[in-house]
Amino acid sequence: MIALEYILLAGLLATAVAAPLCRRLLNTVIVYLAFSVIMAVLWSLLQSPDLAITEAAVGAGISGILFFLTLRRIHALKGTRDD
Amino acid sequence: MTDAPGKGALRRLTDWVNGEREPKDQTLFVMEKRRLSRPEPTETEHAQRERSRLHRFLRWYPAAAVLICLVLSGALLCAVLALPAFGDDDAPIHNEVAEHYLEYTREETGAANAVTGMILTYRGFDTLGESCVLFLAVSCVMLLLRREDRGADDREEQKLLQEDAIARERPDRILQSVARILTPFLLLFALYVLLGGENSPGGGFSGGTILGCGLILYAAAFGHDAISRWFSQRVYAAVRTFGLLLYAGLYGYYIFLGANGLPCAFRLSLAIDLAVGLVVACTVYGFFSLFQRGEI
Amino acid sequence: MQNFLHAVLNNRFAVAAVLLFGIGFLNMLLQQNLVKKVVGFNIMDSAVFLLLASLGYIEGGVAPIVGEAGYNPLYINPIPSGLVLTGIVVSVSITAFSLALIQRIYRRYGTVVLSELLEAAGREED
Repeated sequence: MIALEYILLAGLLATAVAAPLCRRLLNTVIVYLAFSVIMAVLWSLLQSPDLAITEAAVGAGISGILFFLTLRRIHALKGTRDD
Repeated sequence: MTDAPGKGALRRLTDWVNGEREPKDQTLFVMEKRRLSRPEPTETEHAQRERSRLHRFLRWYPAAAVLICLVLSGALLCAVLALPAFGDDDAPIHNEVAEHYLEYTREETGAANAVTGMILTYRGFDTLGESCVLFLAVSCVMLLLRREDRGADDREEQKLLQEDAIARERPDRILQSVARILTPFLLLFALYVLLGGENSPGGGFSGGTILGCGLILYAAAFGHDAISRWFSQRVYAAVRTFGLLLYAGLYGYYIFLGANGLPCAFRLSLAIDLAVGLVVACTVYGFFSLFQRGEI
Repeated sequence: MQNFLHAVLNNRFAVAAVLLFGIGFLNMLLQQNLVKKVVGFNIMDSAVFLLLASLGYIEGGVAPIVGEAGYNPLYINPIPSGLVLTGIVVSVSITAFSLALIQRIYRRYGTVVLSELLEAAGREED
């Protein structure tokens, strides 16, 4: 169990460092979604199932949707610019 | 004649509250022009000075930011290493309050899930504040993103109508087939998590977000017309306001009557759970709809 | 050195939370793109929640659901968990509001890169 905790914490740090370093905004958002999912697994390791459900639904669901919609509005996704 | 000044002040106050007039419109004094010690800089000199100040600031900013961040992280690290060990049984955070919550939640609130019972009854006012924050967030996003006049923003309006026509003619078959299967299960699961929050993990927040996600899937797959047939703007406003008012009413009544004892009569916590879930679901769906179309 | 390593391993969640906080804070200050600033802010938020919820864990504990099997004396502390539950939902509200502001800024100025924004705003004032 402790090995799993270490691996997940290392994954958390790795995604947190990698997310803002991506060149395209789409990659940043996808790595941030991975960060949220690892966080959700960590919550269930800490024996808090309410937090796990909420973080999975909110972080990887709602937050991701809002980010993608904003990226579409600021024309940061390829192929959506109406030239 | 004697109450004319009073009426004038009241009229000025109401005008200012309604945003029609600045309060200092009728100042009695005029600011005297001070004699300047040196001649005022010309326009281009001013602009150049501003730009050089900006450049100087931007040169020192990264170094200062990294320094502040390192100092802060170092201080926090030193503080955090002095905490009791992770998972320690004798940590001072596990005191008699937690013991009381765990032992008496079942009998005093009727909930088996200690976290849900705690946030709805023992710490109910925190949840009330959080529901207010959600309500406020949707209102603020509505202020920012709502398309007011229908005919003013022609280009945006045209683009939206075009997208609607395209979506109606050539619907996204994959999304629609998947949504046709998934949406009933999503809504059912959301209701299960909401109503079963007392005896199993879940509760208001989780169930509310899953309900919002179900509505978002339906709206994204079948278009705005399909969902506004039964979830129109009026229904949305009514549900949102009703949820918050129900919660605020229950807790207002409870606090004005002494706040002694818990509001756990007649499955009250189930009603509060439902209210919280509805507010969260409406918030989440409102965010999606405002981001995508600019209207609910 | 041995002591330091021992202390870090004893408080691994808290140390990871502080590191994440530092990373998120640095990103929020230094990134030039507004959307990446919002991502940094979210990372900061999640770090604070990780620290809070890890304080309530008891070694060998189970989730605090008093089931039919009776009262098990090894429940984790439910109080930090409840606080973090509220925090997660408030965090998504703030993210949504920031993204709405970014959309309006883009509509007004045509860019979300901070240096260009400052120049455009400065030019407007003159």
